[in-house]
Amino acid sequence: MSADIHLGRVKPTVSVGGWGSALTAGIRIVGLLIAILIIVQALIVVEARPQDLISGIHGMADIIRRSVPPDFSKLHDALWPALETVDIAIFGTLAGVIMAVPLAVLAAANVTPSRVMYYLARGIIGFTRAVPDLVWALFFVTAVGLGPFPGGLALAVHSIGMLGRLFAETIEHMDMAPIDALSLTGARRIQVFTHGILPTVLTSLLGISLYRLDENIRSSLVLGFVGAGGIGFQLLTAMNLFQYREVSLLLIVIFVIVVAVERLSALARQRLA
Amino acid sequence: MTTDLVIDAKSVSKCYVRGVAVLDDVSLSLKRGEMVALIGASGSGKSTLIRSIAGLIPIDKPSANGADKASAARIHVLGQPIQSGGRINCSRSLRARIGVIFQQFNLVPRLSLLTNVCFGLLGRLPTARGTLGRFSDDEKRIAMQALARVGIAEHALRRANDLSGGQQQRAAIARSLVQGAELLIADEPIASLDPASSRRVMDLLADMNRNDGLTVLVSLHQVEYAMKYCPRTIALKDGKVAYDGPSSALTPAFLNRIYGAESEELFLPSFDAGTVDDDLPPLPPRKSAFEIERMSA
Repeated sequence: MSADIHLGRVKPTVSVGGWGSALTAGIRIVGLLIAILIIVQALIVVEARPQDLISGIHGMADIIRRSVPPDFSKLHDALWPALETVDIAIFGTLAGVIMAVPLAVLAAANVTPSRVMYYLARGIIGFTRAVPDLVWALFFVTAVGLGPFPGGLALAVHSIGMLGRLFAETIEHMDMAPIDALSLTGARRIQVFTHGILPTVLTSLLGISLYRLDENIRSSLVLGFVGAGGIGFQLLTAMNLFQYREVSLLLIVIFVIVVAVERLSALARQRLA
Repeated sequence: MTTDLVIDAKSVSKCYVRGVAVLDDVSLSLKRGEMVALIGASGSGKSTLIRSIAGLIPIDKPSANGADKASAARIHVLGQPIQSGGRINCSRSLRARIGVIFQQFNLVPRLSLLTNVCFGLLGRLPTARGTLGRFSDDEKRIAMQALARVGIAEHALRRANDLSGGQQQRAAIARSLVQGAELLIADEPIASLDPASSRRVMDLLADMNRNDGLTVLVSLHQVEYAMKYCPRTIALKDGKVAYDGPSSALTPAFLNRIYGAESEELFLPSFDAGTVDDDLPPLPPRKSAFEIERMSA
């Protein structure tokens, strides 16, 4: 009943007249001009030269000719790095989730125990997200040496930032009334978390984590380029040695992994919903 | 300190916006074993009053102007201050003795009724076991008995959000039962329920008041329920107590005198207090221990 009264009060402030429509038309034209300007400056800045693309078609055709047929005899050698790539992503996602959950609780405005903790957690989440995973990989390769482990660490740290923010937002959008009711029964703070917050957001958190796993698979391919293990490293080596038939095989393997994980993650998220 | 005063609120004031008092110098007290209705039109401040007593909203601190009056402002529940000086007392032992029922039930939606009702025990369990949610068979049995008492034992293992509003509200009452609350504060518990469910819920509250000695303070939008279930009614108007006395005095003419045109809002369009129970099946009998055990297995 009170909602009706409220709506009634708001209505008159929305005035639609001749003035308003002329103004919106003007705003649209200005908006369109700005959009065109942005696109043109982008073309200039990236030095886009379509004619080079056409004259370079022979080079491209040459590479493609040298890439077929894919060298399936190398499939056996590609399997271990492929597994490594998947495992780097699994490790990175898992470690990221484990660290992101407590940080997200501190970084959610509605449940954070203190302002100081809130800003600290927000700071960590913001920093780990702002630094690209490739930079984290370079950092950890320097620290612990080449191989899959620095790749896993890089993904874990970057995932903290990506997951922490989404987790915190999920918690912030939660209906707080059941949580208040639970604390009124005399439950401790930690119990309100385990029995009120966690069950309410768990499926969302799992969905977000599965999506992250999917993203991390693709990231871990690139991480191989800086020596952080996996099939990406194999790909870089083959390209440097002009082994294009091996490159095309590796691309097929990568395609299969990415699509498979994408489908599995989508399927699992569907089951959760 | 008289401990038979379960609620002892003196000079309670509350402004959300400076200068606009939602509660203006409200005092009320409830003796042990009373069942009292709090009525009032929308915006009369009853929800704010109920939430202040439940310790959810801090009341205004004593301020410079009118210091002698404001310094007396206090809310004591079960002989202990639930809040003082604008700060809420978070003592878990006091909280566990107060059951709070909400209009929107506020169960944890994705969990089963049984689990939700078990949460009433959290205030008494060892921290580690409570945190892990490892409830013993005996504790589950207590929860099942409470669910049987409110007549929804057969839904014990269903998710809270799969059930109707009336069923969820009864589960919330079961949680208060398990909690061992001595005082039950209900904030518009039937405002979003259909008439049959409303009567069920009010019957339960009255039953707990009569048979378990719970003190009940329930805010209601419709005066008919107050007259039928509560011997005493406190009526709020514009943040002040307009009436505090026997519910039998609340005739339409009397309410019209207090509330004027607003009083229409307090009556149901068609409510026949005399024949209320005729179309309603009686509350189910308490389940035997054997049945309860079978269901919790």
